[in-house]
Amino acid sequence: MASVVTKRKTRSQGPPTPEEKPKPKPVVEDDGPIPEVIVAGDDSDSDPEISTDGEESGEDGMSEEGGEGEAESGSEDEADGDDDDFDGSEYGSGEEGDESSGDEEEVDEDARNYVLDVMKDFLTGAVGTNGEGGKEEEANGNGVGEPEGEAEGEAVNPTAAEESDSSEDEVPDRNTIGDVPLEWYKNEDHIGYTKDGLKIKKQARRDQLDTFLARTEDANEWRKVYDEYNDEEVELTKEEIDMIRRLRQGKIPHAEVNPYEPYVDWFEYEDKGHPLSSAPEPKRRFIPSKWEAKKVVKLVRAIRKGWIKLDKPKEKPEFYLMWGDDLKTSDKTANGLAYIAAPKTKLPGHEESYNPPVEYIPTPEEVKSYESMYEEDRPKFIPTRFPSLRQVPAYPRYINEIFERCLDLYLCPRQKKDRKQFDPETLIPKLPKPKDLQPYPSTCYMEYRGHNAAVTSMSTDSTGEWLATGSMDGTVRLWDVQSGRCRKVWDFGLKINNVQWNPNPQINMLGVAVDKDVVLLSTELGGEEVIANVSSLLTLKEAGAEESPLATWGLDEKFKSLRVRQPFVVQSFVWHHKGDYFATVAPDGITKSVLVHQLSKQQSQNPFRKHHGRVVRVLFHPQRPFLFVATKMHVRIYNLAKQQLSKKLMTSLNEISSMAIHPGGDNLILGSQESKMVWFDMDLSTKPYKAFKNHTKDIRAVAFHKTYPLFASCSDDGTTSVFHGMVYSDLLQNPLLVPLKILLGHKTVNHKGVMDCLFHPRQPWLFTSGADSIVKLYCN
Amino acid sequence: MDTTNGEEVVERQIQVKFVTKLPPALRVVSSAFAIPAKLGRYGLSEVVNTLLGLERPQPFDFLIDGELLRTSIEQFLLTKGITAETTVTVEYIPVVLPPEPQQPRAHDEWVSAVSGFNSKFIITGSYDNHGRLWNAAGECVVLLQGHTDCITSLAPIPAPGSSAKQLQLVTASKDHTLRFWQVALNEVTSSTTTLKPSKRLKGHTSSVQSVAASPSGNEVCSGSWDASIKLWSLRDEPEGEEDTGGKKRRLETGAVSSTEKQVDARATLQGHTQVVGALDWSERETIYSASWDHSLRTWDVETAVNTHTLTSSKALHCLSVGGEGNALLAAGGADHVLRIWDPRLPGTVAPVSQLSSHTSWISACKWHPKSTFHLLTASYDGTVKLWDTRATIPLVTLTQHKDKVLSADWWKDNNIVSGGADSQLHIYLKLNLSF
Repeated sequence: MASVVTKRKTRSQGPPTPEEKPKPKPVVEDDGPIPEVIVAGDDSDSDPEISTDGEESGEDGMSEEGGEGEAESGSEDEADGDDDDFDGSEYGSGEEGDESSGDEEEVDEDARNYVLDVMKDFLTGAVGTNGEGGKEEEANGNGVGEPEGEAEGEAVNPTAAEESDSSEDEVPDRNTIGDVPLEWYKNEDHIGYTKDGLKIKKQARRDQLDTFLARTEDANEWRKVYDEYNDEEVELTKEEIDMIRRLRQGKIPHAEVNPYEPYVDWFEYEDKGHPLSSAPEPKRRFIPSKWEAKKVVKLVRAIRKGWIKLDKPKEKPEFYLMWGDDLKTSDKTANGLAYIAAPKTKLPGHEESYNPPVEYIPTPEEVKSYESMYEEDRPKFIPTRFPSLRQVPAYPRYINEIFERCLDLYLCPRQKKDRKQFDPETLIPKLPKPKDLQPYPSTCYMEYRGHNAAVTSMSTDSTGEWLATGSMDGTVRLWDVQSGRCRKVWDFGLKINNVQWNPNPQINMLGVAVDKDVVLLSTELGGEEVIANVSSLLTLKEAGAEESPLATWGLDEKFKSLRVRQPFVVQSFVWHHKGDYFATVAPDGITKSVLVHQLSKQQSQNPFRKHHGRVVRVLFHPQRPFLFVATKMHVRIYNLAKQQLSKKLMTSLNEISSMAIHPGGDNLILGSQESKMVWFDMDLSTKPYKAFKNHTKDIRAVAFHKTYPLFASCSDDGTTSVFHGMVYSDLLQNPLLVPLKILLGHKTVNHKGVMDCLFHPRQPWLFTSGADSIVKLYCN
Repeated sequence: MDTTNGEEVVERQIQVKFVTKLPPALRVVSSAFAIPAKLGRYGLSEVVNTLLGLERPQPFDFLIDGELLRTSIEQFLLTKGITAETTVTVEYIPVVLPPEPQQPRAHDEWVSAVSGFNSKFIITGSYDNHGRLWNAAGECVVLLQGHTDCITSLAPIPAPGSSAKQLQLVTASKDHTLRFWQVALNEVTSSTTTLKPSKRLKGHTSSVQSVAASPSGNEVCSGSWDASIKLWSLRDEPEGEEDTGGKKRRLETGAVSSTEKQVDARATLQGHTQVVGALDWSERETIYSASWDHSLRTWDVETAVNTHTLTSSKALHCLSVGGEGNALLAAGGADHVLRIWDPRLPGTVAPVSQLSSHTSWISACKWHPKSTFHLLTASYDGTVKLWDTRATIPLVTLTQHKDKVLSADWWKDNNIVSGGADSQLHIYLKLNLSF
């Protein structure tokens, strides 16, 4: 047994050394019946331990087998005591195996892989049994595949002999790595080692083209088989190919083997007067193998301990149709669309019978009543009775029905389209209800009447006590907001383009854009100091008297005011929030279209050398030194302190008409003549944050409320839209924009609707001025 | 309940007992009557008239549980949840009939303020910068000339004892000042005399929107567009005594002098953020103010501290304190609803009642000086309405004005005066109020 251990050790060291390998060969030559062992030995590369044991026992334990084995078996069997007929001498082989297995158990008892090996051994044995039916009979099925048993049984199977021959004939492997997975050498540049321990280099594989060429050139190319283990091409001989063909056909590979050889009766009893029995061995004489029982016990134990898992869970396919309906895969077309089977025609029932039961047949009254029915309601088929099938006339509706059926087939839906089932309501973003966003202007309570033509522009003072309006009738009117009383009228005689109240309450002054002039009027409101301050500002300074190419500052005698004359028509102008500067827009001025004027010094300057397009509006940032210049398609933001362009807004509009800035200074709304309004969050992007198409005609003006989160737009369609526009100080939160109300009331005159809209500076009220010469005040 | 035969519907009847506070000639027997439940005010009035057997039928209004009957009795009881099984006590009062409109008094400009404080004269302030005194005959007897901008509000000063001889008033104007006027009533003749102000109250930095005089007559408070309320003392300094005499002298001589005395504010109440639209100083220690910043504030005069704040949802233009316990605040503004708050109710800021019948802004509201239920409102829709707080429908609607009504007041308890944007002062006489 010591030898067994040593052997095992040497074996387990790795690839077999050249000294070791040829060792079994002499054994083969010595012993006649051993060849099976050799086969096993060759196999043993796959499971070295067990087969080594087999070899060992075959080699060393052969001599002591007899006595020891029998003695043991006898005692063991007595202990079992479940066999009726015990024949110790005959089943020595079983006992022998038993002993060896016992040894194994001693050596490594709990090693799981060992058990697995045992099982493997067992299974290969069983395979062997299947293959070698003849031996099996003799061994009484107890030595199941046990090589020693076969060796013991004297029967020499010709097939086995052949096999042993062929294995002998086999060219020894060039590669000596043994039965290890070849992928271990996958990334190496050698495939293994020669028996001298030299590396075998990988050969360059031929590519497909080469293979193809070789196949066309060499007639024997097809015989070649690539031996992955030795990394060489082997040319099969004719015999080998024949063998393969026979295997494929399910025949015995060797042609010379006759599986149906005449039966040779090994027991001679003709001349023996009284044969023992020619009857086959009775079943009761069967003694189960103890060795086998022990193996079974081991397997059972392994199963119980969970080393062997018998029913492995079925492997699920790695990829599967996620949305597939397992049952109805056949219903799926190649596109994965479910199709609908063509509608089936109704099967004929009793009604359609030639001889229907009486209750199906309508009475004549009923038949008559059908005639009064509508065509659609009328039954298509009236059951009628015939004495015999032969008398049934031709079916009059046959053609019709076929046609209808064709129509049905033609029009029937062929695919089941998966329409998403959702409520359209859910698509609308969840916005708060306008009711919860009060206050906002909703009802018109006041009307300021007095103008005779469209009111183009409006402005309020900083407290919201007064309202100034400019109109096409050439007048500027000053209104008391609360009472609706017109306090003052300045008649310019020319169309008023823009009216802007100076935002500084200390400079209570009104700027009016008329034709080519900007006229600065004193409102004569406010305290005495304010009035004195304004009148001092409105006196012409000496410096301003100099002729300047940009603008001429002069006195207006009629209104006792300052008049800034420019070479082009001033369309709009806007005050800086401190009230000292104002910027004018004269779109025709091209390079001189935007001028910035300083009130205290009475000077004008042109900050821009050129403009990219026709300037429509300008706007001062409410806090910082920025100037917004809106051309027809873009808004450019200039930093006045650094005198450079700081941002350009891509408006996606074609005709900007109006612009308003949020009092926070980060949000801008633009109205356009294509009736679109866009909201810019300038912190977010230079592209519009949101666009509204809430009007049907040109937007005339847009406005922000100074304190309430409100903004509005008015349009030539006669409506004014009021929106909730909440801007959060948290930069992560986008502005919340909710349409609140559409204010109607202004009439459209000459395709002009609402000309201007303006929020009251302190109340949630909105002034709108219309082409119908009325100014309306909408209150919350 | 009696069921008449035939197909007539079963007619419910209700036991009713009529009571009244009217003189004995108009009292009915205090026994209960069964009357049809579907009777309304008119039907009940007929019943009472029949019971009284008056020669000339007189219309009555009916009160059940302190509320005026405006529907049928049955419906009233249903909505109020009163059982119809018991005897219902119904109080009847004479119906308030529309007053008789008088010939309007024309002004040069819009009439912005009107007061019926004095029983002999009606005071008006106008957008032509002048104040006027009208006598009962409809003649303008005094022209108050002194403001340089339109008068927005005026407040007659209660002067105990001397009311018969002298009328004092303060006017507020858009010229940022208030002026104090003293009119010697015994000097007044039927021809128009021009009067100059005796004091100029200067201090506001913006238009003065509202003014109210203290009950003692020594002080006035004014609210302005500069969002402050200023207190002014009218009591003359020791040397001022002569001045008063001097003014009288001037008035006698009719001399025009620009030596009006300038008065500075005694205190400023800061708290409102927008224009103070209306003020009320009917209690000695408390000033009520209503502002466009939607708040109604109560101020303690001594400490000049805001003691209580009520918030409305709309800008407020007018305010009146009165009604039950002289404590209800009625205020109207940039809305068509008149709201009444009860500041005595703890923990509530919601109005106790809302009277809505106007169609435009309410420009003025005034509690009746004696009645606890009657209230007058003027609106930009051109109407003056008389309300009874026991009903939600106005008692009387006066539609004489052709434009916005800017101001309205009671005059001699049962007459109404109102002025508006049609530059007319309208006087409605003989309103038969019962209180």
